[in-house]
Amino acid sequence: NNRSQLSSLPLQILLYVNGIYYIFYFLATLAMIIYKTQVFSYPDDLLAPDLAVLFLMAILEVPRLYLGFKGNLTEAEAPLGLSLGLTVGSVVLCVYLLLWQAYVLWADVLLNAVLLSAYGLESGLKVTAIAAFVS
Amino acid sequence: PADARDAAQARVRSAPAPVTDVARLCGCDLLVAQCDPNCCCDPDCSSQDFSLFTTCSIPVVTGDSQLCSQKAAVYSLDIEANPPERIFKIIDQVNPSIFCIHATNYKQALYLKSPEIPTPENFDQLLDKFGGATFNAEPDSWDLDTDAQNPPDANETSRYEYGVPVQTEDAFLRLPSPVVSSWCSDANPAGFLVNQATKCIRSVSVEKCDSIQALSMLFYINSSILASVFQVNITVQSIVVQSLNGMRTLLSSSDVLRLPMVLAELCINAVLGVNYHITHTDTGEIIEAAAAFVLGAISKEALSIEQSFEISFTQENAQPVPLSGNPGYVVGLPVRAGFQPQGYPFPAAFLSNKHSQLTILQSTSPQDCLAAQGARAPVLFGYNMVSGCKLRITAAMKCQPLAQTLLDVLKGQSFPEYVASFGNSQGQDVLDWVPITQLHISEQRISHTLQSSCQIPVSLGIEVKWTKYGSLVNPQARIVNVTATITSTTLKQLPSGRERIIPITSSVVFTDISSPAEPSYKAWPTINIKLPFDFFYPFV
Repeated sequence: NNRSQLSSLPLQILLYVNGIYYIFYFLATLAMIIYKTQVFSYPDDLLAPDLAVLFLMAILEVPRLYLGFKGNLTEAEAPLGLSLGLTVGSVVLCVYLLLWQAYVLWADVLLNAVLLSAYGLESGLKVTAIAAFVS
Repeated sequence: PADARDAAQARVRSAPAPVTDVARLCGCDLLVAQCDPNCCCDPDCSSQDFSLFTTCSIPVVTGDSQLCSQKAAVYSLDIEANPPERIFKIIDQVNPSIFCIHATNYKQALYLKSPEIPTPENFDQLLDKFGGATFNAEPDSWDLDTDAQNPPDANETSRYEYGVPVQTEDAFLRLPSPVVSSWCSDANPAGFLVNQATKCIRSVSVEKCDSIQALSMLFYINSSILASVFQVNITVQSIVVQSLNGMRTLLSSSDVLRLPMVLAELCINAVLGVNYHITHTDTGEIIEAAAAFVLGAISKEALSIEQSFEISFTQENAQPVPLSGNPGYVVGLPVRAGFQPQGYPFPAAFLSNKHSQLTILQSTSPQDCLAAQGARAPVLFGYNMVSGCKLRITAAMKCQPLAQTLLDVLKGQSFPEYVASFGNSQGQDVLDWVPITQLHISEQRISHTLQSSCQIPVSLGIEVKWTKYGSLVNPQARIVNVTATITSTTLKQLPSGRERIIPITSSVVFTDISSPAEPSYKAWPTINIKLPFDFFYPFV
């Protein structure tokens, strides 16, 4: 049974949890940006890039997760490879939010660190799954 | 040299860098190069100064407390050590909140914004934004248009109240005064019963001096004051002409209006000072107005002159006596004193004029008692004063004339007998005046018991005892007792040719003898319960 099924169960679980966590992450980061504009002085030319990055990451996440699910379930390496590429983009945006935001609060550090570790683990599992599918 | 100037300009262009090191920041260090008391972070304080402090006014210096982890400088005093010493520690302060700022990429977030330094390039734009007049001297209520629409009825202009601007045909009676800077502003109105004296600078040019309005007498007297049903013209009371070297001459005829004109590179008849005297009734109607002018000459090089203006209000049929308080004495105003006229069998009104002020000797720079006779300073309420002079005694001086001269020097020409107990005591109220008790103390030296020893007064001490009178929230100062003590000392006969210098002193001391206020409480309310008359009917 395990031999005939090449789909990776841990990857599936991780993608599922990632989806739920990302919703929470997006809402929390958006709320914290609103909090920062009220409490600190947040000029518009610094607010715009931060919000743009957050929304871009949200837009990237949807196809990334969909392709991941599809690739893993249909045991096809093309969608999984595309998802891996989108993950790289998401990692870059996450690193931006971790390091180059106007104000990086401690809660920001926690959320982004968890997301980055999830991305890292996912990427590892995707590579393993692609290797399994290809061979 | 040009590069030094450029360097200076470059320094001016950028504001000094903000200090962010908590070890060097000190919020209580206000005095430069001096130790601020109880300021533990002041670098000018030595360990001796720290031993005198009681607490640290600023115990902790930190940056923005919203940062997750930051350096904090903690200052405290170790009182148990002998002598007390200051403890300075730099600790890491941690903010436990989950929303603390871990890092920020916006460098100005945590500091106040540095103001823009004006340069030749951005000066115009800064001037538009931040320049402009700061005060509008004429309130809207004095617009001529609104006056034309609602002409004030006769009842309103007839009576003036304290502080109300004195109205004239066109707007109000002007008393030019400095507003914001020292330049004259003609928009300052004179308030009724507000005695004011102002000095301000006006820019002049000798060529156009006959066209400058503020330099001509007409500007100050041409509009008449509105009062009751008629208008009061401002008459010219006197004209004093001041020459270029400051000598003033009173003109005999003040009827002729002298207007400024250019004469031989000078501008003569320019107004240097105006003194208004307004007479009013006791119901607030103005009945007379007079102006005394000081005219002077302006030389060609002068670009500005100083003008002085004064206005005083006196009630008709009253001799103006400036009050020293109403009713209690005001600190800094002269103590009013007077004489009781001789020859009256019963106490009558007191005479108090400017020749009978309570004065003490004024110290002058020669310090010679005999040379500086006549310089006296008025005794101001609440100000303890000490003054003195030195007396050089030669062998040739005779005792009695010397003692009399010194008594004159100490007490002055007319030492008053009574002092007003309130600042507004009238002469008619005899009970409001306190007699001056005169004491003589002579320092007798035990060794010299010769009858013919000479006693000369060497010091006069005036002690004024005053008390707080009236309500607790607004106590009035009232003089209760005045004692003038003359201390004499024996004058030894000097061998001929020798001379001695003895100091002569006079002092005024004000002592507060007010007893502490006794609080008085309202009586407890009594409960009045009485049974009705027929309560126990039919038993009683």
